Amino acid sequence: MLPKISSGKTAQESNLIYDDSTMKVIVLACLVIFLSVFLTGTLSYSIMEKAIVNKLKSQDLVYIIQSVTTKIDERIGRAKETSLVLAEDPTIVQWIKEKERNPQLTVYAQKKIKNLAEHYDYANSFIVSSLTNHYWAENGKIIDTVSPKDPDDSWFFQTLHGKKTVSLSIDYNQQRKDTFVFVNALVGDLNHPLGVVGVGLSLQDISRQFQNYKFGGNSNLWLIDSQGKIQLSEDLEHRGKKISEFIPAQIEKKLALTGPADSRPIVLQYTNSQHQIMDLIVQPMQSNSWKAILQIPRRENLYLLDSIRLNTITSSVFALILIILIFFLISKKIADPFKRAMLLNQELEKKVQERTQELREKNQKITDSIDYAKRIQESILPSPEKLSQAFSDHFVIWKPRDIVGGDFFWLKSFGNCYLLALGDCTGHGVPGALMTMTVNSILNHLVEEVPWDNPGIILEELNIRIKETLHSKSTESISDDGLDLGICCIKEKQELIFAGAKISLYVKKGEELQLIKGDNKSIGYKTAKTNWKFTNHTLAIEENNTFYLTTDGYLDQNGGEKDYSFGRKRFHEIILQSSAVPLNKQQEIFQEILDNYKQDQEQRDDITVIGFRVGKI
Amino acid sequence: MEKLYIEPTKGTPEINFDPAQNLLILKGQSYPENAFKFYEPIFHWVDAYLEEVKEEVTIEINLPYINTSSSKCLMMLLDKFDEAYNQGKKITLNWYYDEENESELECAEEFQEDLTIPFNLFLVQED
Repeated sequence: MLPKISSGKTAQESNLIYDDSTMKVIVLACLVIFLSVFLTGTLSYSIMEKAIVNKLKSQDLVYIIQSVTTKIDERIGRAKETSLVLAEDPTIVQWIKEKERNPQLTVYAQKKIKNLAEHYDYANSFIVSSLTNHYWAENGKIIDTVSPKDPDDSWFFQTLHGKKTVSLSIDYNQQRKDTFVFVNALVGDLNHPLGVVGVGLSLQDISRQFQNYKFGGNSNLWLIDSQGKIQLSEDLEHRGKKISEFIPAQIEKKLALTGPADSRPIVLQYTNSQHQIMDLIVQPMQSNSWKAILQIPRRENLYLLDSIRLNTITSSVFALILIILIFFLISKKIADPFKRAMLLNQELEKKVQERTQELREKNQKITDSIDYAKRIQESILPSPEKLSQAFSDHFVIWKPRDIVGGDFFWLKSFGNCYLLALGDCTGHGVPGALMTMTVNSILNHLVEEVPWDNPGIILEELNIRIKETLHSKSTESISDDGLDLGICCIKEKQELIFAGAKISLYVKKGEELQLIKGDNKSIGYKTAKTNWKFTNHTLAIEENNTFYLTTDGYLDQNGGEKDYSFGRKRFHEIILQSSAVPLNKQQEIFQEILDNYKQDQEQRDDITVIGFRVGKI
Repeated sequence: MEKLYIEPTKGTPEINFDPAQNLLILKGQSYPENAFKFYEPIFHWVDAYLEEVKEEVTIEINLPYINTSSSKCLMMLLDKFDEAYNQGKKITLNWYYDEENESELECAEEFQEDLTIPFNLFLVQED
């Protein structure tokens, strides 16, 4: 069952839903979304722009310029045909030959040029004779008699000697603010022409049509001649000016490179002084040496792109809002279980804290209790004063593995005689400590009832009484407890009697170390036989004797490289090497060496080592 | 009869008693907080096993360290085999020890003193 989550939200709870990391994820995701939408938009826009510019340059501009030039070329072509037809008209030729004297032919010729101007959309039509120098105009009258001296008439004499069947001449009329293209055809033999006939075209109407091709106010359509002079422009102001006034010099140079008339138009691009990109498309004319130039600012050209840009931005913003909205909804859905998990976690954490607190309190109680038990256990151990009374020098290392333990030592005096015992009860900690209390009590009573100077008997009797105490009620019980014990009886500082139950006595005599092994029998266990006679070892005490007793805790402590037990050999070595040192110093040595061996390992068992001297020093 | 396997821990040995091969292995340190609790199920298993086993049994022991209460338990355990051996079951005990760990041999010898089953001591060679 999930713990019930209270519906009332506290400030802390709601903070949980969007904590730091959730907020980070949301912000990051929004950034990623924004970036990807932005990239997609920019990319598609730039691809579109590229495609449009490409299309513009390779198709649209080319189409426009070609339409313009084709129109003009057609117009001029037609004028050339008309001029030729007029020049080759035999009646006209005859009329010129007769120096315009035949009135019938004059009427024909007048009719002819009048008709051309009226019905074929020509601004002028004319016949100029080289025989009479009469200039017959479209109104059927002689309006001028050309003269080589008049500069206005130079075109006639140039054409006459040009030896070209058809030629063009351009005349810009200031009064009419119009450009006329005259198409001149020679009459008769090229080497001895009879005259020049032709038609004049006003380019005003073509120019008017330019407006249709323009994109915007800033684009220009020019027709320039081979000298770079603007002959035709939709902007009247430009007419007669040089193209170099409107485009950079290096671009103008490129214009000169444009190929023959039948080649494809060239597309140029440059940035003007206002930092605008300008597209320039140039197409040579077929009918003459002119060039048509279309100049369009890129921006105007790409007016389409403006709407595309706007559309892209609009759709990007829309997509962005939509995605973020969806993301927000999804994240909220995700956050909901997340919140639940967080609350659950909080609940569990609280429980763990409670339990930990409970355990801490219980542990404290137990520790306090054991600490108190330690005071009791210590109170049964002989005091340092008593030990000092009994021995001329001594040390005791008593280190239970836990706070209390199964190791104990015991001292009882009988006048000038002392009984010292060192015991190691099974188990450690509290069970071991309980055993020591029992054994201590039994020992205290026992020595009043048996010969106290016979350690062997004491061990034997202790064995019986402990077995009675521990196992009388529960013969079926699996538990089997007992102890190892070593007892020394020191008589008048002269004689030491030792008996051991799995505890040995070490005697250092000068440079020698004697090991007096206790019997290999423990005390108090179910299996311990009650009739076992423990061996008494009697020694005469010499002044340089030092005696040591130890429980197996010191010898069995693991450590070293292989994590093996400390062992008896090392113990022997310590005794041998530290014989000259006072016992309180030896205590430090014993502790230091074991600590070094143990390193980080835990203490394995209760440790007790006793060293004492009896002699008068 | 089911195999008895107890994984080793810091303070308890590995128990691998395989009735199919009649090979009983006890390997590792033994100093549990409550030795009787650890060894009790092993006693029960061995009691049942000894009742039905007909073939020769091999026990292999390698104990770098054993505390007092564990050694009491082990003694109780080995006593069961001793008893069975005296009743005619074929049982061999192989005890492995490391020379460098002097208490191992001491411990083994103490057990050897109290037992009648064939008891072989093997020195474990270093790799």
